[in-house]
Amino acid sequence: MAGEEIIHENTLYAEPIAHIGHFEITNALATSTVALVIIVILGIVINRNIKKVPTGLQNGLEMIIEGFLGIFDGITGSRKKSLQFAPVVLAFFFFILINNWMGLLPGVGSIGQIVEEHGQLIFIPYLRGATADLNTTLALATLGVVLSHIMGVLAIGWWKYLNKFINIKAFLEIPKKIKKDPMVILVNPIKAFVGIIEVIGEMAKIASLSFRLFGNVFAGEVLLASMSAILAYGVPIPFMFLEVLVGLIQALIFAMLILTYLTINTTAEEH
Amino acid sequence: MESLISTFHVDIKLLVAQLVNFAIVFCVLYFFAFKPLVKVMTERTATIDKSLKDADAIEKRLALTETERDEIIVAAKKQANLIIEEADKRGEERKGELIAKAKEEIGQVINAEKAKLTSEKAETLKEIKKETAELVILTVEKLLNEKMTADKDKELIKKLVK
Repeated sequence: MAGEEIIHENTLYAEPIAHIGHFEITNALATSTVALVIIVILGIVINRNIKKVPTGLQNGLEMIIEGFLGIFDGITGSRKKSLQFAPVVLAFFFFILINNWMGLLPGVGSIGQIVEEHGQLIFIPYLRGATADLNTTLALATLGVVLSHIMGVLAIGWWKYLNKFINIKAFLEIPKKIKKDPMVILVNPIKAFVGIIEVIGEMAKIASLSFRLFGNVFAGEVLLASMSAILAYGVPIPFMFLEVLVGLIQALIFAMLILTYLTINTTAEEH
Repeated sequence: MESLISTFHVDIKLLVAQLVNFAIVFCVLYFFAFKPLVKVMTERTATIDKSLKDADAIEKRLALTETERDEIIVAAKKQANLIIEEADKRGEERKGELIAKAKEEIGQVINAEKAKLTSEKAETLKEIKKETAELVILTVEKLLNEKMTADKDKELIKKLVK
């Protein structure tokens, strides 16, 4: 065993670092839990210091909320809707942002244990950026899209909402309108078919959301590892800044897309 | 799909665990930060709105009060002038009255003194007359007692009767 080379590679998946019964705790889950603890502490600190005349941290946070609400208004078109969706969208934003940046901290991905697997020694870090694991991004994307559907049903009613995807109404309309406009017999089946394409579109939403985030963050980690491999001192620094920016932008994109889905699904479709 | 799961190690338990993490994050952010912050922010907006409106109202009222004050001052001045004029007039009247009364009283006193003087004079004259008469009688008696005789008395009586 001695002298054998330790395999040090970025895997596409998060590796398990501990077990509770049958449940494997991966390093990505560990990081996300650390991020959770950070956010909870921050939340409590902010909650304790909320005053009518803001100071320090509250000022900054209010500025962020005001800024976001301004951007949200541009997407939702009304302050009421913005305020309704803001908690969810901001939670997505902050959770993803903290997780993205956690992956860049020194010690994340570099402190770990060496495990023997298939006769090879493999280095497994204790912490791995949570968004560099498809489980996290898939969970978030699915939640976001499902939430947008729930809000849609609540906003415009289940019958109208169902007809967005499985367009029964289009067929029911044919006998009524056929005398006025015979083209309806051609147009409405096409409308129904478009509805079915929308169903596929919803799947694509989940896939694009989850893989975009995962791909960007994972690629960042690979990029930083590659640069460190060339020269550990100095060379990764500009890429580090780049990744800080990418982490922010990806969190923003994810949150904004969720908000867009929420807005689109809660608006009744008019033709 | 199978290869997707094996490549990325997608695990429903991990998905749920991440969802739970996110749910906690959402709850903390919503109940500890977002909700109270938005409440405070809307309250502040309302307070500022109200203060601005109040300030406007106060300014208007102030302007109104100033004009009112000016009006009151002008009215008070007018009234004061009126009062002074009236007081002057009354003073004049009273002065005239007092002078007239004083004159009258002085006249009365003078008249009374005059009357008193005349009566006293009359009395004194009367007394003087009386005393003079007595004196004359006395003197005459003394004179007559010595040289009067019966003849002469008769003669004198005759003369006097004639």
